Amino acid sequence: MKKSNIYIAGLAVAILLPSLSFSQIDRSIRPKAGKAPEINIKDSEVFTTKNGITVILSENHKLPRVSFSLSMGSDPRLEGPLAGLGSITGSLIMSGTDNRTKDQLDKETDYIGASLGASSSSVYMSCLTKHMDKGLDLMSDVLMYANFPQDEVDRIIKQNESGLISAKSDPSTMASNAESVANFPDRHPYGEIMTEESLAKINRNAIVAYYKSNFTPKGSYLVVVGDIDRITTEKVVDQYFGKWNGSDEFKQEYGTGTFNDGNRVIFIKKQGAVQSVINISFPMDIEPGHPDYIKLKVLNGILGSSGFGARLMQNLREDKAYTYGCYSRVNVNNNGSWFTAGGNFRNEVTDSAITEILFEIQRITDEYVTDEELELTKASMNGSFSRSLESPSTIARFALSIIRNDLPKDYYQTYLKKLEAITKDDVLEIAQKYFLPKKCNIVIVGSEEVLDKLEKFDADGEIEKLDAFGREVQDLKPTNASVEYVFNSYIASISPNYGGPKLLKKLKKIKSKSEVIEYSNSQFPGAITSTNVWISPNQNGTKMEMSGMTLQKQYFDGSTGGSSSMRGSEDMTQEEIDAALKSEGLFPELFYAKTGMECDMQGIETRNGIDYYLIKLNDGNSEIYEYYDVKTCLKVERKEIRSRDGETMESIINYGDYQEVDGFLFPMKQDISFGGMTLSGEVKEIKLNAKVNIDDYK
Amino acid sequence: MKKLVLIGILGLSSLSANAQRQIEFIEYDLDNGIHVILHEEHATPIVAVSVLYHVGSKNEKADRTGFAHFFEHLLFEGTDNIERGEYSELVEKNGGALNANTSQDRTFYYELLPSNQLELGLWLESERMLHARVDSVGIETQRSVVKEEKRQRVDNQPYASFFTEMFKRMFSVHPYNWVPIGSMEHLDAAEEADYVDFYRTFYVPANATLSIAGDIDIEQTKKWIDRYFSSIPKGEAINLYRDFENLADSEFESKYGASKSKFDKNDFLNPNDKSARNILRKYSATPVNIPRPEKATEKLTTIISDTIYDNIQLPALFMGYRFPEQTHEDYYALQMMNDVLSGGSSSRINKNLVEKQEIAQFALSFGYGLEDAGAGIFAAIAANGIDLAEIKTSFDEQIELIKKELITEEEFEKIRNQYENSFISSNSTVAGIAENLADNHVYNGGADKVNTELENYMKVTREDIQRVANNYLTQDGRILLYYLPKDSE
Repeated sequence: MKKSNIYIAGLAVAILLPSLSFSQIDRSIRPKAGKAPEINIKDSEVFTTKNGITVILSENHKLPRVSFSLSMGSDPRLEGPLAGLGSITGSLIMSGTDNRTKDQLDKETDYIGASLGASSSSVYMSCLTKHMDKGLDLMSDVLMYANFPQDEVDRIIKQNESGLISAKSDPSTMASNAESVANFPDRHPYGEIMTEESLAKINRNAIVAYYKSNFTPKGSYLVVVGDIDRITTEKVVDQYFGKWNGSDEFKQEYGTGTFNDGNRVIFIKKQGAVQSVINISFPMDIEPGHPDYIKLKVLNGILGSSGFGARLMQNLREDKAYTYGCYSRVNVNNNGSWFTAGGNFRNEVTDSAITEILFEIQRITDEYVTDEELELTKASMNGSFSRSLESPSTIARFALSIIRNDLPKDYYQTYLKKLEAITKDDVLEIAQKYFLPKKCNIVIVGSEEVLDKLEKFDADGEIEKLDAFGREVQDLKPTNASVEYVFNSYIASISPNYGGPKLLKKLKKIKSKSEVIEYSNSQFPGAITSTNVWISPNQNGTKMEMSGMTLQKQYFDGSTGGSSSMRGSEDMTQEEIDAALKSEGLFPELFYAKTGMECDMQGIETRNGIDYYLIKLNDGNSEIYEYYDVKTCLKVERKEIRSRDGETMESIINYGDYQEVDGFLFPMKQDISFGGMTLSGEVKEIKLNAKVNIDDYK
Repeated sequence: MKKLVLIGILGLSSLSANAQRQIEFIEYDLDNGIHVILHEEHATPIVAVSVLYHVGSKNEKADRTGFAHFFEHLLFEGTDNIERGEYSELVEKNGGALNANTSQDRTFYYELLPSNQLELGLWLESERMLHARVDSVGIETQRSVVKEEKRQRVDNQPYASFFTEMFKRMFSVHPYNWVPIGSMEHLDAAEEADYVDFYRTFYVPANATLSIAGDIDIEQTKKWIDRYFSSIPKGEAINLYRDFENLADSEFESKYGASKSKFDKNDFLNPNDKSARNILRKYSATPVNIPRPEKATEKLTTIISDTIYDNIQLPALFMGYRFPEQTHEDYYALQMMNDVLSGGSSSRINKNLVEKQEIAQFALSFGYGLEDAGAGIFAAIAANGIDLAEIKTSFDEQIELIKKELITEEEFEKIRNQYENSFISSNSTVAGIAENLADNHVYNGGADKVNTELENYMKVTREDIQRVANNYLTQDGRILLYYLPKDSE
């Protein structure tokens, strides 16, 4: 009996085992991808309100959340002398309303755990469905009753001033400004760049006028996504946006951008750069949702996406080691589209890198891509497209795109199928249709030493030179003034009470100087206090503090020095010591001849109608460029560029508001920018011959 | 009156609407002990494949700390079928993303893939479970990576040692005594055999939860799981298989009494040889012994007060209390108590210590719930020139207040809103759902907690919050760590 049981059990096991398929598998075989899945994007419902809003409802009851995303229907406007007005207005919409201060807005939003945001042409709100009424109350308040308090306007303008100063030392911003101007030069909103002059003209009245004209229900789109039905949507839209009114939306065609007859080289000088930013671009005549668009994305994926094995990366990084990264991008918009490729490259290989990028753009228009490249790119695009769908905001973006661009309803629904169907022939055809390897805008931001190697790329051999904001630059005007003359005139201007021998006598009696500067930035609370001391003849120390915490100390005692911070301490290198020895005295300009500082007159540069002497100094460690006002001979700017291990660090100090202290003029305003950030510096105290001890800075 | 009734009904309907939003899933065990959880939803054509190993720093030996976290790094090194460095590349090339993390209690790996790459994800994770490459090259490489990580995230961060210092004092017996980053000396002292042993003990099917969420077909997924995971040997047989792959024949034979040739390389689980079948049966039937510490019972009965000199500029105070383990019923109220004290800029600690009194640069409190025990921590960095005694007084005032008086209705409503929001948001992605399901299965007594956890928070009353404050914020049993700048030593 027992035995047979065992037998039966054994039999059962024997029968069952194979079906459990515990048998070995060949693990060296990697699973293949299955059929590209179809995505389930539900059709949206669309209706229009009496005051002209097109409402797009995308119901999704997976989670009890809802989002309302309102975009204005106007085309972008030419801002002309007020370039930047839209972006400033956008930054200010959440700064308070007729009914609530900014603090109240923040507090009420937090209480319901909502998220509320705005830009120059949109307002967005999302929250749990049950807090929808409160959320919409806040959203409609900022939409209709933003009141732009003057102090907030001032704060945002100040913040943008800092941003512009930083932009002047940021090569990628410089390149992108030039790229915009080069592709859209002719009265096109994409070609308009905010400058110091345009920012100076922007005021509260202009902002309010922009807001009134741009935020109008006519032609606007409200995308509602989430846990809400049609009836409720109609009800709340009427309740919160029914009272909203305004003028007709602004409509304007701007054309496709300007195509070149041949390659055009555009150069933006960046003093002391050891790397060049290369940015190669051309306009494309394509709009979002065009059937070619997905093919164009595949083409770009093969050429220059960030994934493994894309051609630009493979050629310029893996094979040639010219760069850490080289990418391309297609920018497709309703008001103008373009292609860009580029990256950062060492000075020596700048021309070779341009050659290779152009070669790759050419090659992909001449030959088929490989099957492997095509499959990899499609797989990776499939993945990122699919993953992006998890976010309700993606669904909202698609729903809007379908309406705005008049696409078939299932455009995104069938996106992956369309992607899968793309062939090598498609890719070649698209490349030949849109790519212009011989009509590019080749923008280079870099050192002048690379300039003579660039001529060969320009169709007519004439390189255009632009400034940081895409404006044409004039070459420096030559001058007969010598470096000594400028230095002497400068010293004379800042020491009006002493002349010649009297000055030297006076200077001998000055044994030390200490100065306290308070640095602030509108984006950060709190201030950084910097104490700078000089002790005759050439000791100096700096201490940076924030809220009583020492961030960094630095000293030079005439023979050695170093710096320390929370991250540890570091001694000065011999090179740095030799450089420090070249600046001695309260006014080092008096002693440059003696200390061996290299000084060269570069010429006269005109900025905003004012002439400046530009003098280049070199202490063996840094290149320094100083600007002196031709009329007043006051120093207004000092730019220092230091290179180390192939990286450059750049800092710019702008001097202003010279005031007399103990018989000398010192600048009371010293703004400093570095690493993309600008701090406004205000001198709080200057003392001559105060008691200072260099040990405090060690 | 009519309006009020209407609001009442609306309120009810919104409640029941919430209750209907269940996260559906199925779960089962494979014969080798892997627990499988599957959640099917087709909203987005992606799938999250995750494996949670029930091993964290608390499973380490006291002289080999840092192992669990180290393995999180090591297990990206590849397998017999995946080249070194290829693991991440394979995922990225196929449109996916991946990551991993380690705590005191768990090590968690996941891939987020297009749903037509589910099989790839299963293959990758099964490879990692079956026979990851644990060799000297990988160990050396990852040792330097982990050391760099520790330098960056702990050593070079002011105050960051407080975690280590706090847990060291709070748990003298339980292995929560040390933290996941562990000791670099231990990693250096360890030999390849130590690493191999850790892998053989904890990276076994019975210690793993495979949680998959997203656009899947349950039946097809089960088939693939069978293919890649059921074929992983059960019990100690997995280590028999690993030895079969890694040992020389003589070593293998002296260990198991049979030559490797008795086993079938291509069908390891079904050898023709009888002795091999017997060995296989024996080892399959022997479960891997996974050492786990006892729940922590130690209490704080005195005030432990210490000064630590660190590379800092401003002094700081850290206060520690013993909280219960994360599954304890009081834990919900404790979390909510912490949010009253420290949730957001309008919370009590921030309003008082930072904004009103301006004695702290930064101040907060938080609960740290773990499988075997919990901790409540108060932390503040002093404002310039402020004595830490002042901070302690102020913290104590806040503690006394929340013990003595009920929190306000407004505070109560705000934190309830915040909880609901964060609970709902935590299940908004398939990756989040896969992780929550696995976590709830292993640590919270059931994957279904994913649907019921919010109720436990919503049940908490203002009185509960006051009660747990009184029970757990024990002023005569706590740890006080005074952090002072090194140069004041």
